[in-house]
Amino acid sequence: MFSSINRRAVGLARRPNMALIAAGASRTISSKDLTPKTMPTDFPLMSQKAASAPVDYALTSLDTIANWARKSSFWPVTFGLACCAVEMMHVSTPRYDQDRLGIIFRASPRQSDIMIVAGTVTNKMAPALRQVYDQMPEPRWVISMGSCANGGGYYHYSYSVVRGCDRIIPVDVYVPGCPPTAEALMYGVFQLQKKMMKTSITRLWYRS
Amino acid sequence: MSTSLARTIKNVYKSGIKRAAWQIAFLNDTKPGGTLVGTDDHGNKYYETDAPEIHLRTRWVEYNATFLSIDISAAEPGWHYWLGYGTNVSPNNLPEDQKAVRAYPMPEKHKINLTGTRGAYVPYNTAKPKHEAWTPIVSERS
Repeated sequence: MFSSINRRAVGLARRPNMALIAAGASRTISSKDLTPKTMPTDFPLMSQKAASAPVDYALTSLDTIANWARKSSFWPVTFGLACCAVEMMHVSTPRYDQDRLGIIFRASPRQSDIMIVAGTVTNKMAPALRQVYDQMPEPRWVISMGSCANGGGYYHYSYSVVRGCDRIIPVDVYVPGCPPTAEALMYGVFQLQKKMMKTSITRLWYRS
Repeated sequence: MSTSLARTIKNVYKSGIKRAAWQIAFLNDTKPGGTLVGTDDHGNKYYETDAPEIHLRTRWVEYNATFLSIDISAAEPGWHYWLGYGTNVSPNNLPEDQKAVRAYPMPEKHKINLTGTRGAYVPYNTAKPKHEAWTPIVSERS
């Protein structure tokens, strides 16, 4: 811990504007020093590159179609573990009516694209959770629903609870709340749909 | 009366083809015309209808946004509360004595949720860590 702080201090002292400050004078580090700056080794992300060639435009449209198809047939495997699952069920009831969004709960992981981890993941359930995730076909996404799935929540200090399902599986969207409302889960679904729309499937293949 | 062909035709007649097409694309449903209740700071339009609809499906928002950028966080908090049937008094019809008075100037437009974009909120820790990381060192066997 201390070695990293020392390194930071040495790095600051080497900068020319620091030479003007007398040794021993106390100086607070301003937020400007902490703000990341562009470095010569930086190169633009795929999302920052603008389409230039006709191929780019064609592939962008192809990607959009594929992504739109994926986000419009949003088939989650229900991993209801606790009270969050009750809120998840509310999304499928007529008030929130997930069917109008193309969301159909599947009982089998082999037929689903998304896993909604709703509730406390216990140590006993952890291998099952991982196995269900492994059984899902690619591409697959995970929504972590509720405090317990996000980071253990109320049971964070329990001896038998996994401190967040992201210790076992990669998570795309974290929905906060204890439990989150059905509206909050739906908002998480919309956020994931936005993320799906940003996937560059053919563009990654073409540009790399 | 959730969705039926007769309802859809009636709603398309009430809203006009262009607006009905917009509603199908954005709201996955056609809406029975409705009266414009108000507009919020982002230019989203809020509608309400008296037509016999499903319970709690009589208010909706028509976003001032493109198809891929619609987000409920663009709805002003007061309007969001009204949309969720928290109140029957829309924010633009609030009596003077019920309007919130802030001690600081409010921004022209409220901030939307920038998650997933480059403006996303990123937390950082300024507190001193409570624990020191342990580097395992194997001592030499004698």
